[in-house]
Amino acid sequence: MRSPRRRRVVAGLLLAPALTGCFASGGDSPGGDSADGSRLRVALAFPPAENFSPYGADATLLSRLGVTEGLTKLDANGAAAPALAESWTRENDRNWLFTLREATFQDGTDVTPDAVAAALTHATEAEPVTAALSGITLTAKKSGDNQVRVTTEDPDPALPLRLSSPGLAILSEKAYGKDRPTPVGTATGPFEITKANGTTAATLDRFDDYWGGRAQASGIDARFTADGTARTNALRTDQIDIAEAVPVAQASTLDKGTRHETATTRTTSLLLNTKSGAFKDPKLRAAAREAVDTSVLAKDVYEGYADPGVGIFGPAVTWAAGARSAMRVPPAEGWGRAEPTGRAKAADVDGTSVTVATYDNRPELPEVAQVLQQQLQKAGFKVKLEVREYSRLESDVLAGKFDAFVGARNSLLDTGDPVSILASDFTCDGSYNLALLCDKKVDQAVAEAEKESDTDERRQAAMNAEAAVLGTDATVPLVHQRVITGVGTSVKGVILDPYERALVGTGTRR
Amino acid sequence: MAAALVVAALTAAAVCSRTLWLGARRRLDERRGGGSAAAMVAALPEFLTASVLAVVVGVHLGWLPALGWYGPRWMVLPALALGLPAGALLGRMLDDLLPGAFAEPWALAAAARGISGRATARQAVRRCIPGLLPNVGLFVVGLTGGAVTVEQIFDIPGLGRTTLQAALAQDLPALQAGTLALVLLAALAGALTRLTARLLIGPALRDGALHSLHRPRPPVPRRTPLLYGTVLLAVVALGLTRDPLALDTGARLQPPSWDHPLGTDALGRDLLARIGHGAFTTLALAVAISATALLVGVLLGLLPRFSGPLVDTVNAVPAVLAGLLVAGVAGSGAATPALAVAAVAWVPLAAHTTALLEQERATTHITATKGLGAGDAYLLRRELLPALLPPVARHALLRLPGVALALTSLGFLGLGAQPPDPEWGLLLAENQPYAERAPWAVLAPAAALALLGALAVTAAGGVRRPRPFVRTAGQPKTAVALTDGETA
Repeated sequence: MRSPRRRRVVAGLLLAPALTGCFASGGDSPGGDSADGSRLRVALAFPPAENFSPYGADATLLSRLGVTEGLTKLDANGAAAPALAESWTRENDRNWLFTLREATFQDGTDVTPDAVAAALTHATEAEPVTAALSGITLTAKKSGDNQVRVTTEDPDPALPLRLSSPGLAILSEKAYGKDRPTPVGTATGPFEITKANGTTAATLDRFDDYWGGRAQASGIDARFTADGTARTNALRTDQIDIAEAVPVAQASTLDKGTRHETATTRTTSLLLNTKSGAFKDPKLRAAAREAVDTSVLAKDVYEGYADPGVGIFGPAVTWAAGARSAMRVPPAEGWGRAEPTGRAKAADVDGTSVTVATYDNRPELPEVAQVLQQQLQKAGFKVKLEVREYSRLESDVLAGKFDAFVGARNSLLDTGDPVSILASDFTCDGSYNLALLCDKKVDQAVAEAEKESDTDERRQAAMNAEAAVLGTDATVPLVHQRVITGVGTSVKGVILDPYERALVGTGTRR
Repeated sequence: MAAALVVAALTAAAVCSRTLWLGARRRLDERRGGGSAAAMVAALPEFLTASVLAVVVGVHLGWLPALGWYGPRWMVLPALALGLPAGALLGRMLDDLLPGAFAEPWALAAAARGISGRATARQAVRRCIPGLLPNVGLFVVGLTGGAVTVEQIFDIPGLGRTTLQAALAQDLPALQAGTLALVLLAALAGALTRLTARLLIGPALRDGALHSLHRPRPPVPRRTPLLYGTVLLAVVALGLTRDPLALDTGARLQPPSWDHPLGTDALGRDLLARIGHGAFTTLALAVAISATALLVGVLLGLLPRFSGPLVDTVNAVPAVLAGLLVAGVAGSGAATPALAVAAVAWVPLAAHTTALLEQERATTHITATKGLGAGDAYLLRRELLPALLPPVARHALLRLPGVALALTSLGFLGLGAQPPDPEWGLLLAENQPYAERAPWAVLAPAAALALLGALAVTAAGGVRRPRPFVRTAGQPKTAVALTDGETA
């Protein structure tokens, strides 16, 4: 048989030059297993989209790998905790004074007030502005030997929360030389990026002078694997130690010991278009809300890796959960007045047709939409589904082309401040108002909450605003997702963060 | 990629081995059946093979790494996933031409002269390859740019995925670079295939000393298409009596039982019902597109000067990118996905037509017909088209399941079938994540597609000449070829 041989020769001729440079370099070489801690192999779901720019979507990725830090961080209860700033005081309405701790950048220079002020100033000048700063104008100036004064144009009681955002990471002066800031060797976290291999992999080494102590793992080999099944398979074949965001469909293929679930602040909800179409009528919105049975979604579609929807803030937002459980028991310490009020009575649906849109980047969402379709059809709606890739969908949703939208949103990712998410998602001026809601009562409640500076008062006000939003039936919370992280049995100390901002820390080791 | 080619070549070889073996011994008349298995393999969706291989060989058996791209060991599984269907397709096309080569006078002369069967077989393959080369070239380019799903499953940083991501993120420089690389590769592959074809049969082309590669006699009508047809019809008919949309999330991923003969999917819907109801939409559209592609492919293939560069360019664009482009131009109307798929589906057919046309023009019987004073129109109608159409039509049928799948791959753009429509490609796609936990959920639609492929291929052979006495009837084509051979 000549043909295969001949064709192979042709193929060889064709491809020989391409083949040598064809394989991705780096990867899971077993090297680095020195006496003091072995390297961690981590598979992340989202590849760096903007060359590790700290201002965009890559910011979370950097903070999850322990590369960057901000002045503050969120503690388990969702309050601001010290990070690069040791402490802070509010001097007056618009001025905050942050006292820095003694720390070193990964390029060897000290973290000085000048450097911090410069980093924050660069962030304010970034284009497009990082999510945590949208609608905020602030200036940062050195004050004394180890203090930075941050001044906001309008009073901002949530500033320490805001500064915990991964988008406001502090980098050394060296990072801002070129057109786009780079965190390679300029951040302050326990690990530093030594080599970035495009959107496929990155190599990180331990930063020995980290202020919080040396990390136990000597480095990280990070891989960006978009396909959930591929991540899971890599963990099962021991090619990696930690797999981020295992899809629900794959969860049961993992051993119990390697499957870790965390309740997150990510809420899947049905957003109803309040501006145009059938759901402009609050009575139909009420009918849709009544038609939805969230427990089926949590139990069957998410196979129990989710909790039925209770509000915009789920059980992972501990204070909101506390407030909600307080609603059922006798009111305690001022909590518990925040029940949705003024909801419309459900009207007769009478065969109204609606279009429900969703995206397939999260594989569970099309399934949720199909179950919703059936539930709504039972209530008398005629339902058409539209499933696309997210980037092909967002602009059409914001333009109000659909009657309803099923989406998952991490309610506290950007700022950690419950009020700013309500402001951006549900007020007339909101930048990400997918329900196209413009309601006086909601705007008023959010505005009131924005003024509160005391943590507890602010949270209570946020609960009131949430109740106002729910009262309009613009959003029907479906489920609160639990994220499944696959962790190899030999790995210890993985940070399972409900805010999805941290994953690997100083204590993570193999 | 090279490995995928090797796999494809091996598969192709396996597909034709029987014909070669028989042909070498001049016993082709006994040849019967065959082709169904190849057609079934060709109908297998790449992403399905890929995920099954990754899970079974990579995870459970642990023989080979399940993902990554670091060295030769990592190449085997992706190469298998990509090479198997393509190899089956090419092998089937080669198999289609081989009997014609074996029926040429030189083969008879060689046998009479006592030249070994091996040598004859080698020459027969050499004789048929030029007709396939353009498609091999297309396959190389398609592998680079169009293997997006396989790249995803095995986590390979491929050009196709990068380009598609760039297109989605509207990253123009990356998109331009990727497309440019693909176009260059396509041009290179095109030039190389043309060069190889020239090397193989150049002198014969120049001197017009070729023979028509027709089958010496039409294949014997077989019962197999009836069998495949009945099974498929039975499944569809049974499915039609059930409700394809009834959700019962409590009964998700149930294995086959009396209540659900083919099991249930991730939302507890009956798979039999979904396959049955999906058959019409899937088939109607796929058949319509295939017919259009065949028409356009043959028409453009007849104008090689015009279509050659066009083929190279269009082929460089993966179907998904074409979908994006068409959606951009035509908006996301109901006809857009069909347009997008048709826009690329004609390419391999046109390439095939051109290659065959080139050879056919150089045959001695065309020279003879011209010598007898036939005009261009007569030549085209009576000589060229009858010679070209059957193999190209069989090729189109072979690609029918692929067209059905291509329609689904545009789903993420919001084009084509939307859930909960039970279109077959969609069924495969939505059940793919559950392939390991509920194999029946993907096996059932995949089997339906494979059946469709086998049915299309076997029916192309059997239905054309349903009368049993055809076997003994005179064969005008062979007769022409023989007389030409004598005069030449």
